[in-house]
Amino acid sequence: MTLSGRFVFLVALGIVPIVVFGPTAEAATGVLGAWLLLVLALGSLDLALAASPRAVTVQRMLPARVRLGETVTSELYLTNTGRRRLLATVRDAWQPSAGAGRNRSRVVLGPGERRRIALVLVPLRRGERRVEQVTVRSSGPLGLWSRQATLNAPGRIRVLPPFHSRKHLPSRISRLKELDGRTSVMVRGQGTEFDSLREYVRGDDVRSIDWRATARRNDVMVRTWRPERDRRVVILLDTGRTSAARVNNEPRLDTAFEAALLLAALASVAGDRVDFLAFDRRVRGRVQGASGAALLSQMVDSMAMIEPELIEMDWAAVPGQVRSITSQHALIVVLTSIDAAGASTGLLSVLSQLTKRHTVVVASVLDPATVEAATARSGRDEIYRAAAAERALLDVARVSAAIRQLGADVLTASPAQLPPALADRYIALKAAGRL
Amino acid sequence: MTATRLHIAADAAAPGSAESGRPESGRAESGRSGSAVTTVATPTLRAWLHRSSFWIITSIAIVAIAIVSMLISGGAQATGRALAGDSPSPAGSMALVEVLREQGVTVTLADSLTEVRAAAGDNSTVLLYDANDYLDADQLTELADLAAHTVVVAPSFLALQALAPTVGFGGVSEAESLSADCSVPAVNRAEQIVPGGDTLSIPQKNAHPLVTGCFASGTDKFSLVQVENDTTGGIVTLVPDARVFNNENVSGYGNAALALGLLGPSDSLVWYLPTLADLPRTGPPSLADLTPGWVTPVLLLLVLTTLAAAVWRGRRFGPLVSENLPVTVKASETMEGRARLYARGNARLRALDALRVGSVQRLARTVGLGRLAHLDEVIGSVAAITGSAPSEVRRVVVDAVPASDAQLVALSDSLQALERATSRAAGTATAPHPEAPASASPDFDSPPAERMDP
Repeated sequence: MTLSGRFVFLVALGIVPIVVFGPTAEAATGVLGAWLLLVLALGSLDLALAASPRAVTVQRMLPARVRLGETVTSELYLTNTGRRRLLATVRDAWQPSAGAGRNRSRVVLGPGERRRIALVLVPLRRGERRVEQVTVRSSGPLGLWSRQATLNAPGRIRVLPPFHSRKHLPSRISRLKELDGRTSVMVRGQGTEFDSLREYVRGDDVRSIDWRATARRNDVMVRTWRPERDRRVVILLDTGRTSAARVNNEPRLDTAFEAALLLAALASVAGDRVDFLAFDRRVRGRVQGASGAALLSQMVDSMAMIEPELIEMDWAAVPGQVRSITSQHALIVVLTSIDAAGASTGLLSVLSQLTKRHTVVVASVLDPATVEAATARSGRDEIYRAAAAERALLDVARVSAAIRQLGADVLTASPAQLPPALADRYIALKAAGRL
Repeated sequence: MTATRLHIAADAAAPGSAESGRPESGRAESGRSGSAVTTVATPTLRAWLHRSSFWIITSIAIVAIAIVSMLISGGAQATGRALAGDSPSPAGSMALVEVLREQGVTVTLADSLTEVRAAAGDNSTVLLYDANDYLDADQLTELADLAAHTVVVAPSFLALQALAPTVGFGGVSEAESLSADCSVPAVNRAEQIVPGGDTLSIPQKNAHPLVTGCFASGTDKFSLVQVENDTTGGIVTLVPDARVFNNENVSGYGNAALALGLLGPSDSLVWYLPTLADLPRTGPPSLADLTPGWVTPVLLLLVLTTLAAAVWRGRRFGPLVSENLPVTVKASETMEGRARLYARGNARLRALDALRVGSVQRLARTVGLGRLAHLDEVIGSVAAITGSAPSEVRRVVVDAVPASDAQLVALSDSLQALERATSRAAGTATAPHPEAPASASPDFDSPPAERMDP
């Protein structure tokens, strides 16, 4: 039960009769008592006439998933199963991060009627956004007192990572296509595959002339090559404590998602098999054996629920995890953070096991604020900041050198540049036939 | 469900709701909520009462116990005024008043002289106990004239002056017993009263035949004095010791007999304990006299309105919704913390060393030396390419020790100037710092540009 502003105003209105009819204290007190009785009687009458909010049934319709940054309409169907006309305010109790805005709506429902309430959601964060209850406040015909009940109407919507980096995809795919049929720059390495024979044109590499075919035909023939296909790419995501740190107000983990999605999209177009693993001390997300459109949708689906865990990454378990995914040679992309040497010992200790069998790329987000701080040196405090930034960059450089010594590749870039840089590195490795 | 018409709810918060209410076929329903019966989370009133019955009963019991214990303890405590006719406490006089009433005496409890005037007749007895000396001489004189018999308990100096000028104070009685020794009938019936207590004296006893002193202890100490007014015939009895009349002592010795003898003979008794109402009022009328009668009810109404408004605004629209918030840690926190440590400790040399290591690496790259080039080689190449003295380059890059913050700033500026000069001389357009890399390199054989290793 609750009161309305109208009721408060009605109570306050009692001042008029008290002043008009109450010259003496006794008379005024009498008028006050009478007014209060009147007001309470009106309120009780109103409450008795209000329709029961418990007689409302709720049905919810929601899309199962939405990409972060897009809007979605949450629909709520209210049916009045009672005998009275329902004048109500309805609150659809979404979590604040679901971005429901003002989630109260006025509804007038006759007996047996059904109405739709639409609420536009603009989710603010990735993950699962929930709603558990709907509160109905049914006011009486006078609008003085109202009855209130909370109904269970659970619903959930999965908010997927935004995949902003997909804008880089077309250019990378076209660059990938350019690799097809190139002969002059292609070296006949072990990774490239024989594609077809064609006539020699000026400018082709003479080393790719196929003499046997030339002998069969009366023309000079060259072999063409295409990039290798059906290679394996394993994307390993570090969801440990360092992935929670924010660079440019975006957690490292989300940048890693962007990079992983772009790489997966590109690799699946290129015909490679992509496996995805998010790991800290146990597996947080795994996508295996999917290809094409299913790969990306499964990846975003599993990424939606992954949050940075505030525990240390268990690097010792990583080689075993990789072995469980593939025993063949693969490109392993480790998305982690390269900080101080002390924090990276775990990674360095297991890297040699990975590089023995596989091609490994370690990708990390570099804080642009650090790079900026290293150059800004206008005053005393800024110089100390620059020194600290320089020290941090040196640490990154030192760890990167150690990783290179162990035979892996290192990629550090700012959050906006890491996904395209990783895609470029993948294309470069593919062109070199190192997959 | 008789009517299943679909309406478009007028929802101000949802501008998109103007479209048709038909659920789109492409949408995945999250199906769970499709059941016909919606469960209600809010308990009904009956369920709520049933669930919280223990607490309701407990609180009622606590309140009841509190009220009962307050009533019991309130009766036992000496909260009433001394000799109050309606006070059952030890200092009160309810016992005496009740006994007098049972004997058929009309006892009127008066708080002001006005009430005494209204109640007292010619044949009445008035008992006056003015512990706080509220009455002045005129009022006392008037009071003595109102009734035929006035009993003044514990008279003050002013009362003695007004009613019996010939009587003075006699100090505390030291006698072990006080026995009847005069012709006053009530005193004779009492035979004895409680010993001790204040007494009165009659300095010139023989000169005043109308003054009678009783219960003498020693010479000229009387525990009861009766004065007869020779003009009006009124009798004033002075009892200096109030204990005779109170609940605690009235049943001891002959106290009850004395009290009943003094107060009982007439048909009506006015039991008068003066209050503040007897003080003459002076000054302008108070604020309460000036305010109109409706002010207090209006204030009360405003309080109630505020309460209603509090309920209106404070009533929650359903339960709170929980939200798990993300951790917010800025990645540059460690760098900032280290910078503050340097600044607080004035670690100039250490800070400068970090800047120098970074500069030397960039210089080595600019002049085309490798990562493992020796420092002297770098200095030599830089000096050669910029045309400055090697010793000067060495001073900036290695030797100089900053003694003050100003020198630190100057050395940092020299380092930057050296880097700029070197890159200008080397003809490259490289900025003193490589920006974070990763522009797409057209050359597939070389890895994309990125931060160089040290």
